[in-house]
Amino acid sequence: MSLSLLERLGAAILDTITETGDFVTVSGRSFISIFKPPFDGRRLLYQLSAVGVNSIPVVVLTSMAVSMVFAVQLSYGFKQFQAEGLAGQVEGLAVVRELAPVITGLMMAGRVGSAMAAELGTMVVTEQIDALECLATDPVQFLFVPRLLASAVMLPLLTGIAIYVGYLGGYTLLVGVQGQSAYVYGQDFYKLISFRDLVIACTKALVFGLIISLVGCWRGYRTRGGAEGVGNAPTSSVVTSSLWILIADFFLTKLLLV
Amino acid sequence: MPVIDVVNLSKSFGKKVVLDGVNLSVEEGESLVVMGGSGSGKTVLLRCILGLFQPDAGHVTIEGKVVQDLDREHLSEVRKSIGMCFQMAALFDSMSVEENVGFALMRHTHMTLAERAARVEECLNMVGLKDTQKLRPSELSGGMKRRVGFARAIALKPRILLFDEPTTGLDPVMTDVIGRIILDLKAQMGVTSITITHDLKSAFEIADRIAMLFRGKCLAVQKPEDFKANPHPVIQQFLRGDAEGPFLEDPPPPARDPHRTPHPQAIPRNLP
Repeated sequence: MSLSLLERLGAAILDTITETGDFVTVSGRSFISIFKPPFDGRRLLYQLSAVGVNSIPVVVLTSMAVSMVFAVQLSYGFKQFQAEGLAGQVEGLAVVRELAPVITGLMMAGRVGSAMAAELGTMVVTEQIDALECLATDPVQFLFVPRLLASAVMLPLLTGIAIYVGYLGGYTLLVGVQGQSAYVYGQDFYKLISFRDLVIACTKALVFGLIISLVGCWRGYRTRGGAEGVGNAPTSSVVTSSLWILIADFFLTKLLLV
Repeated sequence: MPVIDVVNLSKSFGKKVVLDGVNLSVEEGESLVVMGGSGSGKTVLLRCILGLFQPDAGHVTIEGKVVQDLDREHLSEVRKSIGMCFQMAALFDSMSVEENVGFALMRHTHMTLAERAARVEECLNMVGLKDTQKLRPSELSGGMKRRVGFARAIALKPRILLFDEPTTGLDPVMTDVIGRIILDLKAQMGVTSITITHDLKSAFEIADRIAMLFRGKCLAVQKPEDFKANPHPVIQQFLRGDAEGPFLEDPPPPARDPHRTPHPQAIPRNLP
């Protein structure tokens, strides 16, 4: 019994190491493939649209909702010691540094990463990936690179949109509902943040974009089995990339704010 | 020198031994048909030839190059000279027929759009399809999908063609059509080919030589007439298509019982 438990633990550790190694290898291959011809502009444009443009409504809605709820909490919290005026400043700080990049990252992991995993997974089980290999095309280059580039470009842009919508969400609540001065809110939102914070937000978004596309594509690419495997790929891709987004967020915040 | 040389190839998945020391060689312009029961390792053999699977032992040489020793770039070069037709066609479902057939042309040649369209049309005509360029794979029937798969495989004018069960799941007429297309392609392009099939009729039509795989081993590689006369019980049973014999042992086939008791609610066969 104890041996089988040990064995299982050992097998789990070995599996994890193997998977990590495989992920790192495939990721490395995709980064190298970016610079290898042939370059497929049409597919990149398609992915830019699929990852970026089509995600705008989701990002707008979530960012609006989260920023408004956060503004409600802030104004309630600061009211406890008659400091409602600080709400706008803290709202700006929170939206730019944390809420916009993380919410965008998590939403994109659900919307884009899962789609990548499902698409590639289906291609694996219907032998389309093998067909690519047989047509002398590296699947990693053909499938990973456009998705990787599109996510790396689009996530920072979507985060930009999320920041702007976050500003509007806070405005709606603090100015529209709580009756703060619009001029003061406009000044306060940017009071505690500097250009460096925007750089931090974009860096985070870039890293999240890489995580989402690489994990999504890799999970799909390594799909095994039939319908069940295809079903598991998006689920595990969303869970894995969300987890890594949160972990990366912590360390990026620690590193970049020092 | 043989174009394709399979040397002592072994491959197992876990405890299941799929290929066990298989030796095969195909000369230039020759058409080899590989037969064998389901799960006898035919598809795995093709995948090892293409370098999609790494064998446990042995190797495959294609035109003198050992596939297993090649890095990705050289393997790609070798694969450009091979056309592979998949069992379920494996068409890219996000692309139209035209994009599917022209895929390799777009990736590996510097053809203009017009040249590419002309070559795509030529390939589709060779497999008996017309005006299907704009269709999506989901709009095609099974037989049409296979033929588009053929057209995609021949677009780069390969020297070697591999067919993985090209007729499985098709009606007898379409099976004959596919058999003829394979013969036509062979005649027009002079390719070396390996065809995996269960269909005896088309196998004897296509083959210059026939190989039989059984439990991971190659039982015989012979000319069709010699193969028919081969006294090996497994081969004879396969040719007869009979459940009784050494082919299935574990588990054995259901017994042939002429006195099966019918289900109590079964409707009598001979109604007045």
